[in-house]
Amino acid sequence: MGSFFRKWWRLLTAIFLLSVAIQLFVRPPSALSRADAFRASGSVLFRPVYATVDFVRHGISSIWSHYIALVGMSRENDRLRQEVAALREKLQENRDFLLENRRLKELLRFSETAGKKTIGARVVGHDISPWFQSFFVDVGVEAGVEPGMAVVTPVGGIGRIHKTYRGLSEVLLVTDGRFTADAIVERSRVRAIAEGMGGNLCRLKYVSLTQDVVAGDRILFSGFDGSMPKGILLGTVVGVDRPPEGLFLKVQVQCAVNLRAAEEVLVVLHRPSIPFRAGRW
Amino acid sequence: MVRQFLVVLAVSYAGAAASVWWLSGFVPWFLLPDFPFLAIVFTGLFIGGPVGFLAAIPPALFREITVSAPPWTFFLSSMALYFFSREIALRLFVRAEYYILAIVVSLLLTESLSIVGLMLLSGSRPFSFLWGMEEAVRIAWTGLLAVPLYMDLSGRWRRVKE
Repeated sequence: MGSFFRKWWRLLTAIFLLSVAIQLFVRPPSALSRADAFRASGSVLFRPVYATVDFVRHGISSIWSHYIALVGMSRENDRLRQEVAALREKLQENRDFLLENRRLKELLRFSETAGKKTIGARVVGHDISPWFQSFFVDVGVEAGVEPGMAVVTPVGGIGRIHKTYRGLSEVLLVTDGRFTADAIVERSRVRAIAEGMGGNLCRLKYVSLTQDVVAGDRILFSGFDGSMPKGILLGTVVGVDRPPEGLFLKVQVQCAVNLRAAEEVLVVLHRPSIPFRAGRW
Repeated sequence: MVRQFLVVLAVSYAGAAASVWWLSGFVPWFLLPDFPFLAIVFTGLFIGGPVGFLAAIPPALFREITVSAPPWTFFLSSMALYFFSREIALRLFVRAEYYILAIVVSLLLTESLSIVGLMLLSGSRPFSFLWGMEEAVRIAWTGLLAVPLYMDLSGRWRRVKE
């Protein structure tokens, strides 16, 4: 018996660790829902990286144009040409700033009309694993962000806060398979459960065959489950399939927001009325 | 020993940072290799003893932070991956390229199928045919990347030892 364990202890350890991981995956205990010191310290390691990326993305065009302008001072012949180049660069940069300004103004206007306290956040990274859909934003526990809080833009809903660290939070997107929320069809007021299905799509569950849902219908979050704010747009119905067998319609919804292209978002600083279980929906 | 630990730490940190924070905005996910995964399998296959175990912990932590799975699941499953790789290394003579490719691809495939299975069992179905094709590309690409990386690193350390 002893020799068996001595020979196979690595394999047995691996199986044990895997069993515990599966248990946590299927049924995460609420005791583990908060960010603990170990993981939080790990997230701190990446802070210089995403802070640098953010700085570089927003500062590189400015540095480049200034550099061109300085080199252009030395020679009279090249001055005008380089000035034009610098101005073009500046124009492009200003266009970027203008667009960013416009987006931020929209966010601000939206946050005022939303009627709830919100905080703006910048997207700094994406989860690259094939199974889950989420991204990281640059606000964390110090700003009052908690798991379960809704993340939105003026265009539509983005998802929910999943994990929080200091200066960093992970947002579970509406297209993730673990995301569910109560939704309503704007035109016919039919209620359903919206669930992520990958890509930029969601599905509506439990819509009876007799209900009135057609392609082009706008889907809103109902707010009844207390997780996402009421009236926020989820997306538009792109396909309704009436299966010959079965009780429910198969409804596909194209999300209103292009989630991969989102740059700035708003976190609604309002605790979900139903306690959120981190790691699950 | 310290050098091995530092190299594994640097590869997994730089790889995770580059993929998650730098490239993920414009490079599709299936073209971004899982460097912490590669680092963990490498420690299992080529670094024995307590140093290998210690070297596997940082990449496992990086996976835990950057993957949006339920808390602790990716850390524990990554450590299980280390022990599986260690067992494979003790049973097989891992020097040839095709061995490395087969081991990495089969471990990636097993991990992916296990998670898909668990997600299907828990009721979510975010997978499609297109997703399957993309995942196949990611597994193949990561496996192919592992071969030169492992051969180079293991060769260097063998030369240092000799």
